[in-house]
Order: sequence, then structure tokens, then C-alpha cells
Amino acid sequence: MMHSTRFATLLSLTLLSAGAYAAEGGGAPGKTVEELAKPCAACHAADGNSTNAQYPRLAGQYHDYLARAMQEYKNGERKHAIMAGFVATLSDADIDKLARFYGDMPTKLDDLAHYEQGD
Amino acid sequence: MTRILLARSMKLALLAASACIPATAFAEDTSKGDPKAGLALVYTCGGCHGVTGYHNAYPNYHVPRIAGQNYDYLIAALTEYKKGERAHPTMRAQGESMSDEDIRNIAAYLSSLGTSGTAK
Repeated sequence: MMHSTRFATLLSLTLLSAGAYAAEGGGAPGKTVEELAKPCAACHAADGNSTNAQYPRLAGQYHDYLARAMQEYKNGERKHAIMAGFVATLSDADIDKLARFYGDMPTKLDDLAHYEQGD
Repeated sequence: MTRILLARSMKLALLAASACIPATAFAEDTSKGDPKAGLALVYTCGGCHGVTGYHNAYPNYHVPRIAGQNYDYLIAALTEYKKGERAHPTMRAQGESMSDEDIRNIAAYLSSLGTSGTAK
């Protein structure tokens, strides 16, 4: 009896910590960046150049800025229900992989340096 | 009888008045921004976004490329800075100085740039 109670406590503690690990964004080991990017494509397009103006173009954006944005969605500094849901399960390594994946795509973005500014 | 009628007409008047409120108070100006007016406003943006490879000092990351970004997203981002819903101190200060019309004009200009020039 005593034994089984202890076992149950141990088991529930193990399950709890596993849950906590997942909630902290333990990532999805073994997932390729293409697999990680699948949900992103629904809004941001497979080539990272969303044609729906509501969603930002990611292709060719600086990868460290993309990573920063994802981290901000994850820690709540930026509030967006959909993005918060997606990044919650990503580890730092996943975020970095995704950021470089989109950052390396052919871009339609540019630095403002190449344009006329002000009057 | 007159009192009842009076009360009734007052109620009607109130109803009519309240029906008018949403139309005026919540009528959002969703007119498209003017890229030419935006061009005159982006001078300040160039200080950071106009320097290729420019870094945010702390934490250290690249200032994003904004030329050619999508129109509606630019409006959403600038409005979030304006309302204090995004943390970046410099961008919050910029956002606070912009009217909704300024934001639409800036978004119209920036989204007309980039290598495609088709993002509107």
C-alpha cells in the first residue's frame, strides 16, 4: 500500500515535470526545419512572402530580428494569440533554425538605405 | 395620457440618438494611405532603418528591413508601438508621435518599395 502510494507520487511528479518541460518550450527534437515551418506557411506563405498584407513578409528579413520577434511572442512582450500559440512549443534552437530558414529565402524586402528619404 | 405620450417620444428620441452614436464614434477611417505623404514622413526612420546592417544596441540584433513590407502589417506594428503594446522604447516614442493618418501614409510608402513593389 505504502509502496504503491509512493510509486504514484513519483509517477505524477515525473509526469508533472514532463509537462513543465513541454510548457517551457523544450522543442521538438528530430524535427527538420521544413517540418517546423509547415504551420508558418499557412499565413506567411511557403516562400516567406505572404500575399495577404495582414501578415509580414519573412523572406530575407535579418534572421536575428526574426528570432527576436519569435522570442518576444514567446515571452509575451509581443501579444498575438496565434503567434503565441505557435512559438510556445519551440525551443531556442528551433527559433534560431526557423529564423535562418526564412532569413535565407529570396527577398522582396530591402533596407531603407536605397531609397529617397524625406523631402 | 399626454405624459405617457411624452415619455414615449422621449424614449424614441433617446433610442434614435443612441443609434447614431456607434456610427460616429466608431467610424474608423480606413482610407488608404498616401505614399507621397509617407515619403515626407520617413526621414526619421532612415536614422536606423536606412543604415544597411545597422544593429539595435541592446539586446543586439539587426534593425529590421522595412522597405517592401506588407501594408496592413506595417499599420498593425506601428499602431502597437503607438499604443505601447510593443516594448521597443525608440519605436514606442516614434509611434506616439504619429497620427493614425501618418501611420497609413508611412505604411503606403514603405509597402510600395522593395524589389517587388507590389505589396499594398
